[in-house]
Amino acid sequence: MEVAVARKRKNSSKRWKMALLFSMAALLFAGIVYTFLVLNHDPSFVKLTERLLPISPEHPLGTDHLGRDVLTRLLLGSQLTVGYGLAALFIAVIIGVPFGLLAGFKGGFADRIFMRIADVFLSFPDTLVAIVLSGLLGAGIENLLLAIVLVKWVSYSRLVRSTVLTERQKDYVMIAKINGLRSSRIMIKHIFPHVIGNVLVLASLDLGKIILLISALSYIGLGAQPPAPEWGAMLNDARPHFQSHPQLMIYPGLAIVFIVLMSNLLGDYFRDKFDVKKEVGN
Amino acid sequence: MNVLTVNHLSVTGKQHTIVNDISFQIQAGEWFALVGQSGSGKSMTASAIGQLLPPNLQATGEINYAGSDLLALRPSEMREIRGKRLSCIFQDYQGSFTPFLTIGRHFEEYQQRHLDLSKTARKQQAKQALVSVGLSEEMYTRYPVQLSGGQLQRVSIAIALLLKPDLLIADEPTTALDSVTSFKVLELLSRLQGETGCAILFITHDLRHVRKYADRIAVMKDGVIIETGNKDQILNHPKHAYTELLIQSSPSLRTMRLSAEGALR
Repeated sequence: MEVAVARKRKNSSKRWKMALLFSMAALLFAGIVYTFLVLNHDPSFVKLTERLLPISPEHPLGTDHLGRDVLTRLLLGSQLTVGYGLAALFIAVIIGVPFGLLAGFKGGFADRIFMRIADVFLSFPDTLVAIVLSGLLGAGIENLLLAIVLVKWVSYSRLVRSTVLTERQKDYVMIAKINGLRSSRIMIKHIFPHVIGNVLVLASLDLGKIILLISALSYIGLGAQPPAPEWGAMLNDARPHFQSHPQLMIYPGLAIVFIVLMSNLLGDYFRDKFDVKKEVGN
Repeated sequence: MNVLTVNHLSVTGKQHTIVNDISFQIQAGEWFALVGQSGSGKSMTASAIGQLLPPNLQATGEINYAGSDLLALRPSEMREIRGKRLSCIFQDYQGSFTPFLTIGRHFEEYQQRHLDLSKTARKQQAKQALVSVGLSEEMYTRYPVQLSGGQLQRVSIAIALLLKPDLLIADEPTTALDSVTSFKVLELLSRLQGETGCAILFITHDLRHVRKYADRIAVMKDGVIIETGNKDQILNHPKHAYTELLIQSSPSLRTMRLSAEGALR
């Protein structure tokens, strides 16, 4: 019966989402190919005689206020923004998952301590933590990364903990125990795989949020610093020229929308795939 | 000879007592049935024997197995006994298997833990075990969802008896199965008991399952054992009113017909 339910879900009118996801993936792939094969501009090469040029074969998206090629900066910026987003996500997962496993499996005192720590971290809004950390440690993308990890790891721990709590009450854990398996073995072999799907769903949905956060904070000058072609920083650079050359703001803006949308679609796809019925927290 | 001696066992939660000062012995190779309605503390007694009580419950008393008190053992010592000397089958056959591991992997897990066999020998042994419970060797590569309830319960019996334990705790193994399948599972248990000589602690609420197979019966009510004795003695000459009620309320086709006649008259 469960199989039937899952199949019903898959056949619902979600096809356009898949189509969109695939076309975006294709576009992304084209971007990557272009970056490696065609791109021949230096993203930081300033040429003031060629500033604010319109679209041309030489500069497919024109140049910015310092004469730098916009497409080059956009494509290399994607490596920066998405790369740092993925890095932050990866570190948050690496820290969060083991904590959640331990808290959920051990229970008792360790779990209570963990929950209080989690509450403390959850009580800070992520933007605020990032601003405070930048104030304390100085602006820079590494500190921004640190701030994101600090606020994000908790949600992974909590997700993993709740999954472990439900799974460890099932009979197969009892059977594994009564057959003499060690707790660590039960945790890794019998419980951990349940966690992977949920974490993947949350992570792919989170990627969009993290990228938005990186861009937002770079925009106000707390993340990537000027010569770096980060999208948020590019938006900030384009701000004074918004009225005369709005395209300079539209390109990085569209790029952010593109990546965030893609991450959300990917998250939806994973959710359908793993059929996660539980609510995935924010 | 007693396999297991339970002396003055009590299981208590924070506010209430679930099992209250019970004592019984299980002899080697016998089928010992613990009968009672839901909430009478049968399953908690079984959990206490395996040191598997949830952390908010406390067991006191003495459970003597092969000269050592199971309640006092350290976790590492307990792990040695579990599986090898003592094993378990449960009511929820579907939940007894980790969903993403094949039947073969389940065997592997327990074989690797307790036995020192080569990979081919392990596989051989597992397949033999599957055949001995009346399943085909092909089940080895299947996933739990691909098997029916009766098949899964057979596999869990095969796994439980793989290491030839002295005591098998069967916690309502047939409750979730239909009557034909549960009859087959009971027959299988009885046959394997004859072959391996293990004692069975059979927990059930249904006296029908006990009538044919059990050697001795203990009747449990509200955490207390109210009557213990041989099967015939309990079933034919119950001393306690509650036991009589249990026998009366166990539906069988014959008594149902009688009561229907009574209603017509």
